Amino acid sequence: MTSHDVRDVLNLTPDHAGGPRPSKKQRTAAPRPNLKGLAREVQNLGGDNPIAIVPQVSVFKKRRLASRKPAARWELQPFTNSARADDGNLILRHWRKPAVEHGTGPEPIQDGETRPVEEGVDKDGEGPKTKDSEFAKFNVRVSVPQYNEDQYRTNLQSVEWTKEETDYLLELATDFDLRWAIIWDRYDFVPKPPQGEDADGAGTAVVPAPKPRTMEDLKARYYEVAAKMMAVQKPVPYMTRPEFELHEMMQNFNPEQERKRKEFALNTMARSKDEAREEESLLLEIKRILARTERFNEERRELYNRLDYPATDSDINSFKSSAGLQALLQNLMSTDKSKKRKSILGPAGSDGVSPGGAVPNSAASEGPGGHARRESIAATASSSRRDSDVRGGAAAATATSATTARASAEPTPTSATAPGAIGNKKKGGAAAAQPERRKLSSQEEQIYGVSYHDRLGSGPTFRYERINKLYSHKSGQQQLRMTNALAELDVPPRLVMPTANVTSQFEVLWSSVTALVDMRKLNDKLEGEIKLEEAKKAEREKAKGVLGEGSKGGGGGGDEGKKEGGKEITEEAAGETEKEKEKDREKAGNARPESSGKGAQKRSASVLSATSDKSTKRQKK
Amino acid sequence: MAPPAGKRVKGVQIFRPFVYGTTAQLFDDKTNPKPPGVPDDHTHSWTVFVKGIDDVDITYWLRRVQFKLHESIPNHVRMIEATKNQPFLLRETGWGEFEITIKLYYAPESSEKPQTLYHHLRLHPYGRTDEEKETMRLNGGEVISWAYEEQLFNEPYEPFYEILTSGAVPASSAGPSKNSTKPTAGGKSKEKGKDKDDQKPVRSEGGVLERSAMIPLTNRPGQPFSRETETVEVKKLQEALVKVEELMTKTKAEVAGREKRLKELKAEAGK
Repeated sequence: MTSHDVRDVLNLTPDHAGGPRPSKKQRTAAPRPNLKGLAREVQNLGGDNPIAIVPQVSVFKKRRLASRKPAARWELQPFTNSARADDGNLILRHWRKPAVEHGTGPEPIQDGETRPVEEGVDKDGEGPKTKDSEFAKFNVRVSVPQYNEDQYRTNLQSVEWTKEETDYLLELATDFDLRWAIIWDRYDFVPKPPQGEDADGAGTAVVPAPKPRTMEDLKARYYEVAAKMMAVQKPVPYMTRPEFELHEMMQNFNPEQERKRKEFALNTMARSKDEAREEESLLLEIKRILARTERFNEERRELYNRLDYPATDSDINSFKSSAGLQALLQNLMSTDKSKKRKSILGPAGSDGVSPGGAVPNSAASEGPGGHARRESIAATASSSRRDSDVRGGAAAATATSATTARASAEPTPTSATAPGAIGNKKKGGAAAAQPERRKLSSQEEQIYGVSYHDRLGSGPTFRYERINKLYSHKSGQQQLRMTNALAELDVPPRLVMPTANVTSQFEVLWSSVTALVDMRKLNDKLEGEIKLEEAKKAEREKAKGVLGEGSKGGGGGGDEGKKEGGKEITEEAAGETEKEKEKDREKAGNARPESSGKGAQKRSASVLSATSDKSTKRQKK
Repeated sequence: MAPPAGKRVKGVQIFRPFVYGTTAQLFDDKTNPKPPGVPDDHTHSWTVFVKGIDDVDITYWLRRVQFKLHESIPNHVRMIEATKNQPFLLRETGWGEFEITIKLYYAPESSEKPQTLYHHLRLHPYGRTDEEKETMRLNGGEVISWAYEEQLFNEPYEPFYEILTSGAVPASSAGPSKNSTKPTAGGKSKEKGKDKDDQKPVRSEGGVLERSAMIPLTNRPGQPFSRETETVEVKKLQEALVKVEELMTKTKAEVAGREKRLKELKAEAGK
């Protein structure tokens, strides 16, 4: 009963005319079936009951030929096919609608029924009118990497492949559109006999035997060349993604794997029905065995857990009294309880156990839970022992250790397993975070400059820092020496572009320059020592000369001096390109034998340097 | 400094190339007139800058740069804040050369401490030979002293890692996993917004992708640092290495000769 009805009963005038009632009426009227072929008025005659009889409507055929157009014109048109190698000499003709005349007409249909009519080669006059065949576009050539002599030398050198053979391979690849089976089939490379050999050694000239190439060899070489040339034409960071993926794929082609894959496939296809069945059963067997070992391991682990009992090497006298037995019973009960609790927690606690956990000796190191439990047992055992007043030295020791252990094992085993579980979770969390981080493709790594290192001091640094460090690790004098040596080599004091590449190159240079500088230092030192020795010698000879036997020794010394001089000259000849520093030393070296010779001949120490003074002093000592 | 957000990404090093340096020009009535208010004794106008290679934007990892000039210059510590697509640039005038301390403050997402670089302001042509000096002078009278450097971020924090490894190209495998890591940091949401802006890779004139660590392939006027320069330098170093090896063998021979001589002399002395 709506408010409307109430109003009606109470004879109240409805204050709003468009109430829900009229709309209701409309609604009932709406879903009337709309019959075709009847006038609305006729239909309304039926009232609420739908009219059952429907007159048949006769549908007339539409008038044919009403919009008759003149028949479509088809023309016999000549065409050439640019895909043919004969340069458009062959002209064929086919029927096609002339498209230009019918602006409103349908597009020329590209039907497969064009009937090419052999026409011959004679019609030359039709040249300009001939169209290219629509099917010419399907003539696609593979693009085979191109390289010139220079690029080959810098990038593509290979021990296995000569340039001729590579050329030959690429030629075949173009010829057969990279259909490897055909390429491999036709591959018949005959290396050219080395020229100029036949004159003298015609009989012994060995024609290098063509290496047998498997399809994988061919592919590997082709992909290698293609990838390298791709990288040469466009450095990796500049490649688009599809290009990069292609490059990556070609670069990572592994002929060995490919070979194995084929072998495997061949084997799989070649096996007999029996073999297949056997294989299947073997696989099943393996599955079963694996499942069984898992269960076995589980059982064994449980067994070890059960066998986990307090150490018995302490004496058992304490348990012989009834009180002791009581205590023991209580112990066992409590351990049992904890064990039960543990076994509930078991899966969580034993998650961290490695698969090798079933091995006896690793059972002891199973987890913190196991330890804590055992210790708590020991602790209670010791306390009971204390009750029975039996105290051996060993017992005391175990007791003290047990009490300390108890302090650490204070938390119940359940809580003791908790840290382990947390640790596990943490580890798991870290492991989970790892894959969560986006995996970068190797192209992205190059673009974003990401690299991976084993050891890194975290935080921001600069690339040049490494070189600065190289300098700062040296002492002041050494630094000076290094900078001098580098300047000598025409290396600028600061690298222009300290990229990773340049920096590592510089490091190599740096280490070798260091070695060189050290070597020079050694050289200088030796020179000094030689001088010293010579001065000594001169000194000796002088002494000999005083004794009157000097002429012989002097002559010898002179000879030696000459020899030394000669050596120095050859050295100088070899070291022409060396820098001034070296030359200075050379001069010094030249001067030295002279001075020594003079010293020997003139038997005077006046020309000798201060070192000789030193040496005389030492001699005196 | 924001507290470290997330963990460091272990074992990862990410680099970004950039250029810093100075450009100086002599005051000249025609080409470079002295603006009013400049002291009489100032002879040069100069700029010091830190910018991305090929003028790419670096403000996504570098937040501000502090230039510490000579104490005699009023207000000698200048802080330049990042404006997108603008280099960190400071204009000054003066008469003398000195060392500028450049302190780089990184984006807050990095949670890294600022790092310092030193650069010598050059007003006069420098170089080891007169020839080099001359080429410098020819360059529109500007004395340029630019240095290429690579900023290495060792083990960046995760949010910063995310920033450094996105934005240049549409991520390859990012789609689902990125959505899953959404609620970690505030910086990321900003980052994501940016991502939407430049889904299509943006390249600079030299072909360098924005937000990447790429180096242009070839030199262009005003952009002397490129792969080309790098190859030249590597070649130079390799040549130097060969030379060193030659010198080494020579010196070794010399040392051997000397050692022999010394032995002889000693043997003689022992007689």
